[in-house]
Amino acid sequence: MDSFYLAWRYLSYTKVKTFILVGCITIIAVLPLTLEILLDESERQLTLRAESSPLLIGAKGSALDLVMNSLYFADEVPETIAMEALEQVMDTDLAAPIPLFVRFKARDFPIVGTSLDYFDFRNLQFAQGEKFVMLGQCVIGAKVARKLNLEPGDHIVSSPETLFNLAGVYPLKMKITGVLAPTHSADDLAVFVDIPTAWVIDGLGHGHQDVAKTTDNTVILKKEKNNVTANAKLMQYTEITEENIDSFHLHGDPAAFPLTAVLVVPYDEKSGTILQGRYLENETPYQIVQPKEVIDTLMANIFKIRNVLDAVIMLVGTATLLALVLVFSLSLRLREQEIEVIFKLGCSRATIAWLLGAEILIIVLISAVFCGGFMALVQYYDQELVRQLFI
Amino acid sequence: MSIRSVLILFLFIFAMPLQGMAEKKITIYTVNYPLTYFAERIGGDLVNVVFPAPSNVDPAFWMPDKATIREYQKADLIILNGAGYEKWTKKVSLPMLRVVDTSKAFKDKLIHIETDVTHSHGPSGDHSHGGTAFTTWLDFSQAVQQAEAIYKAFSRKLPANTTDFSNNLESLKKDLLELDAQMTVMSTNKPGLSLVASHPIYQYMARRYNLNLKMVMWEPDADPGESEWKHLHELVNAHPAGWMIWEEEPLPKSVKRLQDMNIKSQVFSPCFSKPQKGNFLSVMQQNIENMGAILK
Repeated sequence: MDSFYLAWRYLSYTKVKTFILVGCITIIAVLPLTLEILLDESERQLTLRAESSPLLIGAKGSALDLVMNSLYFADEVPETIAMEALEQVMDTDLAAPIPLFVRFKARDFPIVGTSLDYFDFRNLQFAQGEKFVMLGQCVIGAKVARKLNLEPGDHIVSSPETLFNLAGVYPLKMKITGVLAPTHSADDLAVFVDIPTAWVIDGLGHGHQDVAKTTDNTVILKKEKNNVTANAKLMQYTEITEENIDSFHLHGDPAAFPLTAVLVVPYDEKSGTILQGRYLENETPYQIVQPKEVIDTLMANIFKIRNVLDAVIMLVGTATLLALVLVFSLSLRLREQEIEVIFKLGCSRATIAWLLGAEILIIVLISAVFCGGFMALVQYYDQELVRQLFI
Repeated sequence: MSIRSVLILFLFIFAMPLQGMAEKKITIYTVNYPLTYFAERIGGDLVNVVFPAPSNVDPAFWMPDKATIREYQKADLIILNGAGYEKWTKKVSLPMLRVVDTSKAFKDKLIHIETDVTHSHGPSGDHSHGGTAFTTWLDFSQAVQQAEAIYKAFSRKLPANTTDFSNNLESLKKDLLELDAQMTVMSTNKPGLSLVASHPIYQYMARRYNLNLKMVMWEPDADPGESEWKHLHELVNAHPAGWMIWEEEPLPKSVKRLQDMNIKSQVFSPCFSKPQKGNFLSVMQQNIENMGAILK
C-alpha cells in the first residue's frame, strides 16, 4: 500500500510526464477499439437496411450512390429517372414499387419524397401525430424532432439548393403532421413528404394567384385570347394552406417527373428474378440492383481497409509502446540518484521494483478509466457517428 | 351430456372458423356510385364497400374532409375512376399501392377537353388547366374494363377467393355487355340523329354509340339564363336537334321552353350517386328505355 502511495505521490509530482504517458496509452487502446465498434455498427446498419430493401431501380451509373442515397439518404444524389419507371413496374404485376425522391434538405436533414406505402413497408410507427394528409405537409423522424425541438403543428422550411441561383425555386414551408418513433436508422434523421410535395419543392409545381382573373395589371406581361403571360412579379405561395391549395398545380406530365429511385418489393422470389431479367438489356436507361449485394461489396472493401488500418494501428502502437519503454528507461536513468537514496534508506531492490511497477500500474489504470469512459461515449453515440462518418 | 348439448357444441366449434372468415372482410373505399356498385357485385360478402360522399353532392367535385381522407388512407383498397374524375386526390396523400385506377387500361383512349384558357409564367412555358372527360362508365365496354380492374385488385388482395370474384365478375360483365349491346343496336336505328345534352358528361357514350351529340353547360335544377338560351338557339340552328338529354329530371319551366323550340327532353342519368330507388343496373336500364324513345 505504501508503494502505491509513494508511486501516486511521484506521479502527482510529475504531472506533465504522467499526463503524456496516460494520453499515449489511452490513445493506443482507444483507436482499435473505437474502430472496431464503429465498423461493427456501420456493418449492422448497412446490412440490416440493405437486407430489408429487396430491389432498387435507378438511373444507370454508380450503384453505390443509388443505394446510399435511397437507403441511407446520403448526400450524393444519383441521376434521376422518370416516374414512368414506377408505373412500368406496377404494370408488370410482379412487384410493389415505392417511389423515392431524395434530393432536397430542410435544416440539413434530408427531405424524402415518397408515398404513404413507405411507412407501411418500413413498419414505421408514430410517436406523435399522424401521416400527412394534404399536399405541403410532412412527417419528421425522431431525431429531427428532438434536435430541432419540433412537434406536430409546427413548420419546417425546405432549404434552397443554392444561394446563388436567383431563378431557383422558393423554399416551401411545410406543416408537420407527425413525428415517427425512433428506429435507430436513417429514417430518424429524415423529413418525409408525399412525392407531389417533393415536386413542388423541385419547382415542378407551384401555387399562385389566378392570372386569368387578377385585376392587378402590373403582374401581366401579355394577355391574349387563350393565353396570359405573367411577369416575375407574380406572387407564388411559399406555403400550402387550405385556402390556397386549389391554386397549386404541377406543370407537365407527372409520368415524366423525376424520382431518384424506385424501391421495388417483389411479390415473390420468382417475380423478383423475372423483374431483374427485364432490366438486363442494354437499351434500358435504368439499372436494377440488389442493395444487399452492393452493401456486401462495400463491406468487403471496408474490411480490406480495416485490415490496413489494423496494421497501421499495430505499427503505431508498437512504436508508441517502444517510445514508452524509452521514456521509462530514460526516466529511470534520471532517477538513478533518487533510487540510490531509496536503496540507502533500506529498501530492497524488490521494493524499488515494486514501487516502479506500482507507478506503471497506476498509469495503466488511469488510462483504462479514460479509455472506458471514451468507449462508453463512442458506444452511446455510435449510430450517429456511423451516420456522420461512414454513411 | 345429452345429444342436443353435443350438437350445440359441434355447431359452436364449426361456427368459430366462420366467424374468423367474417373478420377477414376487406374495406374498400370508392369515389362514385357506379364503382361502388361494381365493387359490391364483384366482392360480394367478402368486401365492405364504403362510398362516403354525401348523396346530394356530385362526387366529381366533392372534397372530403380530413377525417374522411384518413379513412381512405386506412382502407385496404381505394377504387378510383381515373380520367381526372376525383380531383381531390391531386391535393391529398393516398397510399399508392392500395389505389386502383380503374380507367388505366384505356388511358390512351380518354377524351381530353381542350377549351380552357392557358397561361404562362417563368421558364416552364404555356400551360393549360384543362381536363379530361370522366364519365367513362357511360361507354359500357369501358365499364366492363373498369370492373375487370376491380376484380384484379380484389384477387390480388384475397387470392384465396379469386374464383368467387371471377364468377361475380362474369355475372356483372354479362349485365354490362347486355346494356352495351342494347345501346349499340339502338344507335343504328337513327344514325347521325342530332341531339343536345344539358351537360358535358356524355362524351364516351357519344363516341361508343355514334351519337351526334352537342353538349351545353346547364344544370337540371336551375334556369340556364338568357345567354345560355341564346347559345342554344345558335347551336340548334347549326345542329338541328329534336331532343335534349338531361342528367336528371329538368325544371318544368325549362322543359316547356324547350318544347317551344321543338326540343323534347329525356333523362339519361350518369348515376353518380346512389339512386333513391333501384341500383346502377336498373337506372341504366331506365336510361336505355328513355333513349329508346329518342332512337326508335
